[in-house]
Amino acid sequence: MSTNKKFLISITLLFILWIVTAFISIFTGTYSIGPLEAISNVDELSKTIFFEIRIPRVLMATIAGGTLALTGAALQALFRNSLASPFTLGISGGASLGALLAIRSGLAVGILGFSLVSISAFVFSILTMLFVYTISKVGGVVATGRLLLAGVVANFLYAAIVMFIQFFSTFTESLQTMRWIMGSLDVVGFGTVWKTLIFVIPGCAILLSSAKDMNLFGLGDDVASSLGVNVRWMEKKIYFATSLAAGAVISVTGPIGFVGLIIPHILRMLLGGDNRIILLSSFLLGATFLTAADTLSRTIISPVEIPVGIITASIGGVFFLWLLIKTKKEIIV
Amino acid sequence: METIINCSDIGFSYNGTTVLNGITLSIESGKMLGILGANGAGKSTLLKILCGVLKPKSGRAVFSDQELSKMDRREIAKGIAYIPQDPMFAFPFTVREVVLMGRAPYIGRFEFEREGDIEIAQSALETVGIAHLENRLISEVSSGERQLASIARGLVQEPEIMILDEPATFLDVKHRTEIMNILKQLKEKKGISIIAATHDIFSSLFYFDEIIILKDGKILAEGRTDQVIKSEILSLAYEIEVVVKKENGRVFVFPNQ
Repeated sequence: MSTNKKFLISITLLFILWIVTAFISIFTGTYSIGPLEAISNVDELSKTIFFEIRIPRVLMATIAGGTLALTGAALQALFRNSLASPFTLGISGGASLGALLAIRSGLAVGILGFSLVSISAFVFSILTMLFVYTISKVGGVVATGRLLLAGVVANFLYAAIVMFIQFFSTFTESLQTMRWIMGSLDVVGFGTVWKTLIFVIPGCAILLSSAKDMNLFGLGDDVASSLGVNVRWMEKKIYFATSLAAGAVISVTGPIGFVGLIIPHILRMLLGGDNRIILLSSFLLGATFLTAADTLSRTIISPVEIPVGIITASIGGVFFLWLLIKTKKEIIV
Repeated sequence: METIINCSDIGFSYNGTTVLNGITLSIESGKMLGILGANGAGKSTLLKILCGVLKPKSGRAVFSDQELSKMDRREIAKGIAYIPQDPMFAFPFTVREVVLMGRAPYIGRFEFEREGDIEIAQSALETVGIAHLENRLISEVSSGERQLASIARGLVQEPEIMILDEPATFLDVKHRTEIMNILKQLKEKKGISIIAATHDIFSSLFYFDEIIILKDGKILAEGRTDQVIKSEILSLAYEIEVVVKKENGRVFVFPNQ
């Protein structure tokens, strides 16, 4: 099958899958709303829940899941390693700390429509990424062991600082932070959705437009360069764009784990390595996965909502273990 | 004979260590040129400068009347193909996908390969004799077959020159011969100039028209193969006594131990 055809078929199927999942999700919850009730004028409560909570929430799950999976795929291309993801590299931890610091310093205000919390998350993501990249690259090649170790170290450091802040917080503040760190998609209204999109759209667009270069980059720096890629520039673009998009999402949802790791991995097993297909399909499947996970989190012990991060981390944790066992030989560097 | 690459007084250094110094050479089109020299003599660096991957710290490298360091990367990629010593493949690409990547300089950022590109890749796969492997994952074929896939990838760039860094070093004698024969055919049938670094002095005798020997970043000797493959030159280059012996019209090269 030609790449072109494979692209069209997989993107179409994944898009349909997302539509179906999103449709089920907006009509599922503690408060049951049918399609008719949502558009009828009779029930104001149903309408409010539907338009102010359900739809923004499904959109947020779509944006967050899609972005985390897409940035995961891009990071895997950048590190030439299928164990890279915002979570494993400590970028999620960095973004969370950045966001938390901004919230606690009373910077939860916006400048020209850009939220300072997102900007702070972005700065911490990009710093983490540079740290991990510098540490893990030995002689021009990323060493898997060092990569994972650098990610672990970054995560520990950030966790320590978060705990330090927690220690000096009031009980309520502390609980709020705790809840946020577990990862959640609680959004009310469309305001947050738009504010996230301002960062996510340019970030994702840059990554998608680099897909072909990422393929060539997979053949090594020198070959990529000899085939017309400006390798250093491409690396910088990926740093910038992943930090921008992932930072914005994490500053809203908290560090939702493992979506960025599992989704691209599954897709590579199914569809092969071509990043022109993998990046966009990662977005779609990530969006679908998080929407479904969020629906589960809202309904599994309804009316209590489990933070969606717990669901993704449990599924992801098991998957990650399986991956570690399967790739035993390559991981020891 | 028309020259295709001209280098004048090229110098290069990594972190303060001089790797190349005062390299001046002109490479004629349609020839097969071998670059010999001990490990660390600067062969790989010179090759990367010749294909525009590295920019020289001093001097100029000119490819068909244009200075390489000022050319657009994609334009260079349409004229010069580079095949590294040990090609890397980070993703689960099939052999065909890898070969198709050679079309990258010809297609846009958001485009997929067209029918024409696929035909070019198909014919390259047949030229190097691995058409039967096209749907196998590149990580699952042998290292010799991977090297052939790399050469096919270079071929679909439709280059005037193919630059190879020790294309056969890791291969057994059968695959080594196969690769050298393919390169010779590319030169003879398609008029592609070949520049290859090698440690294989013996087979250099049969394949290369001309040879350059590097030592400590400088050109030690250059010229027609039979003029350069000589005991005194090789002994100087490798710092070990190398014997070149003619017997019944055949030449043998071996270290004197």
